[in-house]
Amino acid sequence: MIRTARRIIGACGGAGGFLGACLMLVLIGDAILAPWVAPYDPLKVDMISALQPPDAMHWFGTDQSGRDVLSRVIWGGRASLQVSALAVIIGCFGGVTLGLAAGFFSGGWLEQALMRVLDAMASIPLLIWAIALVGILGVGPVRIAGLTFGNEVKLLALLGVLYMPNLARITYTTALSESRANYVAARRLQGVSGLRIMLSDVLPNCLSPVIVQATLLLAIGIVIESSVSFVGLGVQPPQPSWGNMLADARNYLFSGEWWMSVFPGACISLSVIAINLLGDGLRDVLDPRHRTSTVAA
Amino acid sequence: MFGLLLRRAGFSLLSLLIVSACLFFLTRAIPDSPARIVLGQDVTEAQLAQFERDNGLDRPVLVQFATWVTGIATRGDLGRSFITGRAVSSEISRTLPVTLELVVVAFFLSCLVSLLAGTASALLRDTIVDYAIRLVAVLGVSVPGFWLALVLIMGFSVDRDWFPPGGMTPLSAGLGEHINSIVLPTFCLGIFYMAVLSRMTRASLLEVLGQDFMRTARALGLPRWKVLVYALRNSLVPVVTIAGMSFGYMFGLALIIETVFNINGLSYTLLNAIRQRDFMLVQGVVLVFTFVFILANLVADLTNAWLNPRLAMATA
Amino acid sequence: MTGGTTVATTVPLLHIEGLHVGFRNGDAVRHVVRGVDLRLEAGEVVGLVGESGSGKSITALSVMRLLPPGASITSGRISFRGQDMLDLGHAELNRLRGGAIGMIFQDPLTALNPAIPVGRQLTDAIRAHQPLGPRAARDRAKELLALVGIPFPQERLRAYPHELSGGMRQRVMIALAVSSNPSLLIADEPTTALDVTVQAQVMDLIDRIRREFNIAVLFISHNLELVAEIADRVTVMYAGRAVESGDVHALFASPAHPYTRQLIRCIPRLDGTSGAMATIPGLPPIIGALPPGCPFAPRCEAAEPQCSQDEPPMRWRGKHMAACYLAPS
Repeated sequence: MIRTARRIIGACGGAGGFLGACLMLVLIGDAILAPWVAPYDPLKVDMISALQPPDAMHWFGTDQSGRDVLSRVIWGGRASLQVSALAVIIGCFGGVTLGLAAGFFSGGWLEQALMRVLDAMASIPLLIWAIALVGILGVGPVRIAGLTFGNEVKLLALLGVLYMPNLARITYTTALSESRANYVAARRLQGVSGLRIMLSDVLPNCLSPVIVQATLLLAIGIVIESSVSFVGLGVQPPQPSWGNMLADARNYLFSGEWWMSVFPGACISLSVIAINLLGDGLRDVLDPRHRTSTVAA
Repeated sequence: MFGLLLRRAGFSLLSLLIVSACLFFLTRAIPDSPARIVLGQDVTEAQLAQFERDNGLDRPVLVQFATWVTGIATRGDLGRSFITGRAVSSEISRTLPVTLELVVVAFFLSCLVSLLAGTASALLRDTIVDYAIRLVAVLGVSVPGFWLALVLIMGFSVDRDWFPPGGMTPLSAGLGEHINSIVLPTFCLGIFYMAVLSRMTRASLLEVLGQDFMRTARALGLPRWKVLVYALRNSLVPVVTIAGMSFGYMFGLALIIETVFNINGLSYTLLNAIRQRDFMLVQGVVLVFTFVFILANLVADLTNAWLNPRLAMATA
Repeated sequence: MTGGTTVATTVPLLHIEGLHVGFRNGDAVRHVVRGVDLRLEAGEVVGLVGESGSGKSITALSVMRLLPPGASITSGRISFRGQDMLDLGHAELNRLRGGAIGMIFQDPLTALNPAIPVGRQLTDAIRAHQPLGPRAARDRAKELLALVGIPFPQERLRAYPHELSGGMRQRVMIALAVSSNPSLLIADEPTTALDVTVQAQVMDLIDRIRREFNIAVLFISHNLELVAEIADRVTVMYAGRAVESGDVHALFASPAHPYTRQLIRCIPRLDGTSGAMATIPGLPPIIGALPPGCPFAPRCEAAEPQCSQDEPPMRWRGKHMAACYLAPS
């Protein structure tokens, strides 16, 4: 029993990582189970009980339209995590593919071209482009193949694309050093095709630094989503997100409704702390040589 | 060294060109034509055609792009807003200094603080000082600046009257007043990179301290401060790279922080331009941001080439 | 010392007595050096030979008080010119390091700071010990580079370590070590990381410089043959202890410890008489899990029951000392 517990904590990279993993589980659980966990409908307006401080009925108080802040925080977390997680998934797929391709064709013109394009993409400041592009495209919903998606789809697509150069470079560096390793030369001599070596030998070795980096990017995604929503270009009201809740709260800074700004902000901080703790722990376990680095918005 | 400089500068220019092309074509790809935005929905075809001819919008997109780029390269001319008719560069140069001041102050503060804190943390590893610095650093990377800004405004401007809750007092109102008005914004802007850079300085210095050449430096009986300089020459390389990026990213964060504090900097210009759908201006502001970002990275690369030529070569 | 026949009339240059060095691991301390005695007179060359893990490098680092984190001297004395090294404060220690005691390390690529030109590294080392201005220090640096046989010293001052070849780097390392006229040079496997041809040149250089300036050398190597070229006396280490020690010729002529005999047998001969390359069977013991008795007993061809019970002490065997029950006395 104790040994199993030790093994789990060890896999998360020590006590910090374990704490982070636990917090993450709570947050993800809340996000997935939002319809059942949230005590009220996050959109239900009730002007009579507007701007109520926290009490037994509304643990986190109510906002200017009498909506339950706790319910909105839970649903807002769902939006933030969705955007961030999908962006990371897109980034990982694209980044790993590009990185492997550049590593695979190393020495050729394709490698050079890929690296230059990645350089150019890496020279895009994320937050500004996110704000500007959503601004240019407008905050309306997106229709793709008959389905309607919220404005945040633009945000997560852009984030995903802009995550790619970072993940690609990590994959590329690892792939390059791996493909120069002796075991790859040995496989080549056995007559195994290059593509197969790439996918079955090199790729698995590139994954640990990518996983660590993906964890860190997840945290950055949450901060960017909330920042963009804060200036009104992310998740659109009345749908709650931590960022647009803070934008509402800004109007009540001077009148003392502290609960409106404290709870959503604390949730952002808490999830970012959790992810960072988990990421640091994972890095100790998966990437002792520290090939990954902290990049940020 | 000079060759490296040219090479890097060339790549940066190439990046800038690719990125500005993306930007230009994106703004041209949206369904709303500038003419419709300016003239409204109920105008005749002839009026639309007239507007497009006047503004050179009837030419092929590639030609428009070439004209735009040539204007920037030769005259620093970012074009003219279709909405207000004013030059984009003059709009930007009105608000850029405000943002620039915030970012520069925040940047140098975070570099200084993180260098001191990160070095102290590494040298006093596993002491109470180290733990305290690391704890603050974890909080710093996790607490979003704009929320911190809201909390600090509640704490120091609403509850206590220490700092103004927003706006930037001009320098003409007195240096003290001016500094007082930028304390909270620069702190909220700088805290994130203060924390990121402290963590990096610490990690990188610890790694270098364990290397063979540090043992050599001690075996040569060099004074302690000299040994530290020897270590920093090596450990600062990754830190400088991230510091260079952070300068550019801080402009992005500044957009949000300026919004919280109601400061009329570039963010005001950009968000206003978005609201008015003034794409020439949006495009110009974003290009300026991107240019600063690329320039900062270039400066970081060159600083590294000076700090540690071998590492710089390896990453070139 | 058990023999007691040599009573020193003067204070030795370097004197190590009963040195124990341990790595702390939680509450346990694992000793990697277990009671080493060593004596070096001025101008003398002493070789310290052993396999990796025998504690020879740790012994050398102890002299400079440069032990890796976690390791510490648990008992014993080290004195330099009669002065207790373990008593020195940081400032006094720094005067000796790079001053009266110079040190050369194994891998010159990692031992030189990659971010600083070699000229700068030299002048920094010089000015840490000698009251010279920047210009004088630079001249001295140039002189040193010329001394260690680097062509175009003026130009090379600006070079970074990665711009030099392995042999050149080790020459720079030697220049650094002797920059402030030391009376003792500690050379920790100075040629191991180099090509064989370069190895000979570096050996010649060390030999030339120590003769020219009358520098005593503590020469550490796993290669007995190399040590024989330069050393006056040799101490062989095994599992953290000195097992044999004495005049280099006597030791070669009549090795008293079976481990030394095996080491000598392993030296490849150019005339090809030994046929297949000889090796010592088995592996060195793991520090912290030493067998009882003589640590070499499990690998020894002549071991007797007694050998596995008590660890044999160092005793005089003819002209040199050995720690073996079976050595001829």
